[in-house]
Amino acid sequence: MEKTEGFMKALKCRECGREYPLNATHVCEFDFGPLEVAYDYEKARQSLTRENIASRPQTMWRYRELLPIADKQPSVGFDVGFTPLLKADRLAKRLGIRELWIKNDAVNYPTLSFKDRVVSVALSRAKELGFTTVACASTGNLANSVAANAAAAGLKAYVFIPADLEEGKIVNSLVYGAQVIGIRGHYDEVNRLCAEIAGKFGWGFVNVNMRPYYAEGSKSMGFEIIEQLGWRLPQHTVVPMASGSLLTKIHKSYQEFIKLGLVAESKYKVHGAQATGCSPISIAHKGGMDFFKPVKPNTIAKSLAIGTPADGFYALKVMKETGAAADDVTDDEIRDGMKLLAECEGIFTETAGGVTVGVAKKLIASGRIPANDSVVLCITGNGLKTLDAVAGHVGKTREIRPSLREFEALIEAESKVNC
Amino acid sequence: MAAKKSKKQSAPKATSNSSPQTTRLWLMYPPKLITTPVIWEVGHKFNVMTNVRQASVTDEIGVVCLELDGQRPEIKAAIKWLEKLGVKVEPVEINVIES
Repeated sequence: MEKTEGFMKALKCRECGREYPLNATHVCEFDFGPLEVAYDYEKARQSLTRENIASRPQTMWRYRELLPIADKQPSVGFDVGFTPLLKADRLAKRLGIRELWIKNDAVNYPTLSFKDRVVSVALSRAKELGFTTVACASTGNLANSVAANAAAAGLKAYVFIPADLEEGKIVNSLVYGAQVIGIRGHYDEVNRLCAEIAGKFGWGFVNVNMRPYYAEGSKSMGFEIIEQLGWRLPQHTVVPMASGSLLTKIHKSYQEFIKLGLVAESKYKVHGAQATGCSPISIAHKGGMDFFKPVKPNTIAKSLAIGTPADGFYALKVMKETGAAADDVTDDEIRDGMKLLAECEGIFTETAGGVTVGVAKKLIASGRIPANDSVVLCITGNGLKTLDAVAGHVGKTREIRPSLREFEALIEAESKVNC
Repeated sequence: MAAKKSKKQSAPKATSNSSPQTTRLWLMYPPKLITTPVIWEVGHKFNVMTNVRQASVTDEIGVVCLELDGQRPEIKAAIKWLEKLGVKVEPVEINVIES
């Protein structure tokens, strides 16, 4: 177990700390706690320096010492990550804050969501462990990412979905040649069956037996934020929460860079954002509880609609530790957030991004993020994926006949309205 | 609310080709069920062996990490009974389906 693979030491239970070999396994045999990758930080410190990082290609793999692969290079998704961090002055002004940054994973490669980060890690590790077939259970971004990255890597992919999923979401996986299996039944039954299938077949199921590796991919978003801010920690980071995993991994990335001396330690808060129609973690945090109660999702933010979040307990712990806040927004506030980001910064985000912007607005307005501070908003997916959520809410086309006079009349009428 | 024990549940019979399996679950109880001996009842109504691995019970919610050993049809029937009672039953991974 002490034998390292790359910079990894072992898999470690997040509950009891027991260590396991670096295999395709995800749950502690003693207390069923989730397993997490532990690293040899002393070894990583030798080569993960600012200078070395700067000399590497601008992808998420420039931080490879803290990503869970044994080989020196990934075999899947070499070009993923290092998405833009934009200084969003117009949005900052609208929200009433001194400094605001957008970490824009809406343009992540290749499938336009942050899931490409976790999937490229999971599939690279799956290939190292000898898997030739990979799988996932997903209703959207994860399915697209597994299908695309598996295709590019020459892996066979199975994607499990609830049978009643909208066709538009299935096409984005089918086009890559993935085997898409629709399962009829209630959500909970489908969920349990997927877990059973994952246990029965010898596949690399990215968010089940590969989960300890998969989840680590999210850290790259935090590493990039620190480097792109000029090697400093953001005072505030607002992160959308589905399972809660991304929030915990952003925190872990900040801690790891502090530990390795890559960034000076300073106080930071990682705030959580949810949709009111599915806000088990936000409700628990606002109520001062360290556990959540399951809810039945009812929100347009489908990519955050997890009623029983696997990492909810750990997300609550991080927010408590960093003195952060959590809040949630209604469907109308989500659409407003999407429009605000698009109109101010020219970035079209999916509904999850609307949640992040909407919650940031609330936190700033209430002083939980002080107006003189600086904040980073994590935008995790592209608006082209959830067009139906805003269709009918973003204004209408005005039609005229092919007549210059009609156009002039329209402009004149408009200028009167604007006056 | 106490579960009725008078009627014996008609659990599906194990098919000849089914083999014993172990299923690992998280059970989440609403407050109304916290005082009910749910796991004892599962062990008596169905031909399954129960093994609690971790538990946390508060006034708000009960969370139990449970291992069930038995024939697959018995386990499935036990899960169905738990859900009917109002217990949320998740696999050990909790949310396998992601967005």
